Parts: sequence; structure tokens; C-alpha cells
Amino acid sequence: MTKNFALVIEDDPDLSDIFSKALQTAGFEVEAIRDGRIAEKRLQEIVPTVIVIDLHLPHVDGVTLLKQINENEKFEKTRVIITTADNVQAEIYRNLATIVMVKPISFGQLRDISARLKIA
Amino acid sequence: MKLYEKIIATYNGLVDVPSSDPDDARRRKLLNIILVGMMAVAGILILAITVLLLLFAFNPNEAVLPIIASVATMIGVSIFYLINRWWSGRVASVSFLFFLMFVITLSDSPAELANGRSVFLFAIPIVVASVLIGSTSTFVFYILCSIEIIILVLYAGKPAGAAVFPVVSFLFLALISWLSSRSLEQALKDLRIININLDNLVTERTQALSESLTRERIEAGRNQAILNSIADGVIVFNAENSSILANPALSELIKTPSDELTAISLNEFVHTADLSGTNQKMIRELIEQPERSESGVRVEWGKKSLSVGVARVQDTATRENIGAVAVFRDVTREAELEKMKENFVAVVSHELRTPLNALMGLTEMLQEGIYGAMNEKQVSITERLMTNITRLLSMVGDLLDEAQIGAGKLSINPQVFKTGSLLENLHSTMDKIAADKGLALSSNLDPAMPENIVGDHQRLQQILINLVNNAIKFTEKGGVHVSILREDPHHWKIEVTDTGIGIAENEIPYIFETFRQASNTAMRTRQHGGFGLGLSIVKQLVEIMNGRITVASQTEQGSTFTVLLPLETAQY
Repeated sequence: MTKNFALVIEDDPDLSDIFSKALQTAGFEVEAIRDGRIAEKRLQEIVPTVIVIDLHLPHVDGVTLLKQINENEKFEKTRVIITTADNVQAEIYRNLATIVMVKPISFGQLRDISARLKIA
Repeated sequence: MKLYEKIIATYNGLVDVPSSDPDDARRRKLLNIILVGMMAVAGILILAITVLLLLFAFNPNEAVLPIIASVATMIGVSIFYLINRWWSGRVASVSFLFFLMFVITLSDSPAELANGRSVFLFAIPIVVASVLIGSTSTFVFYILCSIEIIILVLYAGKPAGAAVFPVVSFLFLALISWLSSRSLEQALKDLRIININLDNLVTERTQALSESLTRERIEAGRNQAILNSIADGVIVFNAENSSILANPALSELIKTPSDELTAISLNEFVHTADLSGTNQKMIRELIEQPERSESGVRVEWGKKSLSVGVARVQDTATRENIGAVAVFRDVTREAELEKMKENFVAVVSHELRTPLNALMGLTEMLQEGIYGAMNEKQVSITERLMTNITRLLSMVGDLLDEAQIGAGKLSINPQVFKTGSLLENLHSTMDKIAADKGLALSSNLDPAMPENIVGDHQRLQQILINLVNNAIKFTEKGGVHVSILREDPHHWKIEVTDTGIGIAENEIPYIFETFRQASNTAMRTRQHGGFGLGLSIVKQLVEIMNGRITVASQTEQGSTFTVLLPLETAQY
């Protein structure tokens, strides 16, 4: 695994592509998952530098995943970016993430923000 | 006591004569009293003689005359009594008086009767006639007695002059009898008239009272019927805050039996598990202070949404406060529809955002050259794509905000931020838009403003951008100026001034309404873009922040929007 690895968990294929591309442009190696249950399994195997996670996900929702990430010590250094269209939820789960971004999220915005989270 | 009453009743039964003429009844009763009295005297006399005969055994011959006289009196008196009782009082009286004169004539020698010791006996028929037959009849018996006296005088062989004294004396007696009897009759007549008038008055009053009672009953019945047929729940409290009236609709609405809604205190009324503490307090305050309340306050009562309106009840005459009437309307259906509408708007806007976000991101990727360099035309197209996507996104954002504010979901998240950042962000977002329209966007920050203040930075920024956006939209030439000023130690304000088309005075009250733009025609809305939600959202946000927004404007002279907010500074 390379130094800067990012996991994008987003069910919308277009947004998943855009977010992945933004992170790649910022210099991350990116893996995109569109299903909560698959993401849950994958997270048992890897420790990404950055996780971009949507709250609305099929099978296992983003909040459940976020709680697991927060409870697991191996993710201590992992930076989490919540992406959501709901600004009320954004407020509620603010403390579960490093950064909360409310949709619409611009390509440039995510690229610039994630670039700052890279490990030198 | 019982025996005494029995005796009185028997006596009354004996002497009373039923007659339609009260004078006749009175006179016949009087005659009966005299007759009964005489009967009793005769009876006692016979009894006394019998006792004396038995005890002292004196010569029975001496007792014959008094016994015969007593028995004759009893027989005569009985006849008069029967006539008086069953036939005619007048006949009985006249015959009784003649009988009396006859008895008098036999009672003494003619000489003594003419002007001797017994002459006074003739006074009896003269006086009694006036009360038994009528005042004037006293003169008739006076004349009869006078004739008899004259005859007796002549019969006794006395000079005729001997009759002058008794005849003249009896004339005076007759006059006095006549006068007293007449005045008595008159007084009784007056009394009867007074009685009749009094009776009439009582009848009239009773009639009027019963009519007004009937009217009141009908009136009360009608009011009750009106109250019962009102679909809204109505409860009336008196000045002591005790309920005096509640209609069946209220009982149905809040699922409480009618009898548990009357004669209860305001506290008992609101103290129910169906009402939250806040709502209990609200209703209590509304009813205690109706003039402070606005109409149509919403409360959740059990599973129902109710709109409450309270009005003071005043006495129409004295204007005195006599209580309050509260009207509860079931708005559950409306509330549900509103909630559905809000949910619908929220879901739709939410679902719209995702594809719009994708469009924006993809366009941005083209612009960033992720998929290779573009020619000039392609760059221009992606720019136009971006402008339209931004517009769509901002409209969807407005709809979502509006829905969240309507649902009460929008909360304010205060944080410490740099005051100047509001203007910096404003310029970075709006400068290009203003410049594209050939307008100048300028700003100034009052040095009296603290460097850091506490507030919802994102929402304040939204307010500022919405106001400036609105100003640019309605300004064709000139510019827009933004000031952030310290109003007083506890308040600060944002002022956005433009040189645009302004707002007509009569439209100012409506500009903050949802889906409304001044000169509110569909054409205008289209011309200026958007849903017209911007100002409505600004106003609602300002109010959530306990602030106030005002506008000063003149047609073709431009407008100034002022947002006044409480100033909070960081504690550290």
C-alpha cells in the first residue's frame, strides 16, 4: 500500500467518479466503493489516509461505518471527510469526522482540501 | 289551638254568605252575626231559667213568659237566618227590622215608649238599618219610628209637642248614622278599587315577568343551540379563570366529557398529559392575557393540531372585564398537509442536489483539463454550463432552506469568526457577478466593530450574499454598497444599498413573502430569475437570530436593506 491511500465510499456513480478523480489529482491512490456492506468488510483489511464517506449508503449506512471507524484505534491517524446533502445531519455528525462537506461539493474544493490531508 | 281553629272555622261557616256583591256579602254576614248572637243569648236565657227552676224551685209561672219569648225569638231568628242565608239579605234585613220594631212596641207601655225611659229603643232599628240595608235606609226607619212615636204620644194622651224632642233627636242620630255608614261604604269601595288595581298590577307584573322569563329561556336556548352547532371548540372562562361554558365540539376535540369542562379552573383545564409543558404554559398565558396574544397560535393537543384564538369578554355596558373566550380549531389536516409539503420539498431538493452536484463536478473536471485541453468554444460552453448549474443549485438550496425553516429544522450554530471574513468572502463570490453586469460592488467595515464576533458564520454569509445578489438583480447601473456597522454597544448591522429600480411603497410590506418579487408578475420573476425565495429566507434567518430586517426604498432611487442583529463577542 502506498503512503497516501484514499477510500471513497459514495453510492452515486458520477459523484464517486468525481470524488475519486479529485483525490487522484491531489495525489492519492484511490479505491471507490459504492456499497456500505462491502466498505465495512474492506475497512477490516485496510487503513486509508483519507476516507471520503457519504451518509446515505445501501445496506450499511454511513453513520454506522463512521462509528466503527471512530471506535477502532487503527484508524487513529485516518482523516475522515463526510459528504452529505443534508446540512442538519452534517451538524449532528460533525464530531465523527475531520471535515464535513455539504453537497454540492465542487471538484476543486475537494481536491484542494484533500491535498492538505496528505502525509508528507 | 286546633280546637280554637275548628271553632273559628265553624263560626265562619255559620255566618259567611257567598255572594258576588261584596257589599251584599258583608251586610248579610253582619245580619247573620246579629242573628247568631241573638240565638245564643236566647239559648243561654232558656238554659239559665231551667237551671234556676231546678236549683231554687221558684214559681214556674214566673218563668213562662221569658221562656215563650226566648223560644219565639229563636224561631223568628231562625226564619230570618234561613231567608238571609238562602234567599235575600235585603228581605231578611227589612223583615228583621220590622220584627225588631214590633218587639220594641211590645216591650213597654205606650207612655214610656213615646217619650219615657224606653224611647231610646227606637235608636236600634234606625242605626242598624244604616249598616244592614244601606246608608239611606236609616232615614226610612227614622220616618217609620217617628210616625210610631207620634202615634204612641197621641195614644198615651199626651200633647203632640211631647214627640218633638225624640223626633228631632232621632233625626240627628239618623244623620250621624247615615254619614258614618256612607263614609264606611265609600271607604270600603275605595279599598276595593285599590285592591282591584293592586290585583291588576300584580297580574300585569306576573305576566311581564313570565314573558321575559320565556324570552330569556328562548334566547338562552338559541345561544346554546348556536354554541352547540359550532364546529370549533369553545370554552369561556370568567374573571376568576374558572370555566363557565364549553361546547360539545371542544369536548369532542380534546376527548374530555362535557361535564369535566365546566366549573373547572384554568390550571385544571390545561393540566393534561395530552399537552406538553410548553403548550400548557402557552394556553394558560393566552387565556390570562388575551390582548397580548396573536390569533391562531398552534398547539399540539394529543394527536391533534389545534389553532387557538382567545378574546377578552367585556360587559357591553360597563366595559368591565368579565373573562375570556377561547376558540380551538382543528387544523390537524392542514398541519399534515403542510408537513407533507415540507417533506416533499425537502426530499425533492435533496434528490435534485445529487445529480446537480455530479453535473457541477463533471463540468469542473472538463474546465480543469482532467480529460485534456479544450478549445475556446468548448471553454465557453463549459462556462455557460457552470453558470446554469450554479443557478439551479442556488434555487434548490433556497427551496431546501425554506422547507427546513418551515419545518423548524433549521438551527443556528454560533461560532467565533473574523468579522472581516464576511466581506472578504462576499467579494470573492459576488465581485465577478457584479462586474459581469457592469456594476461596482464596494464595502466598508466600521472600525468600532470587534475583530471577532460570535454568530452562525455560514448563515450570516448566506444573508449577506442573498441581499447582495438581490441588489445586483434589480440594479442596472451604478452599484451596490455593503456596510457592516456597530449600531450600539449591544447591536450591529449589515446595510446593503443599491442604485436600482427600487420598490414601490405599497409593495414593501410584501417583499419578504415566500415566492414573491416586487411588481409581482410572473414575467418579472422570470426576468430576474429565481423563485423569489431569497428575501423570505433572509428574513426568516434574521428572525431565528433574534434580529430584525427593514427596508427603505423609493422607486427608481434604489433601496437600502438593513439587518439589525444582537452583538455577541467572544468571551475569551
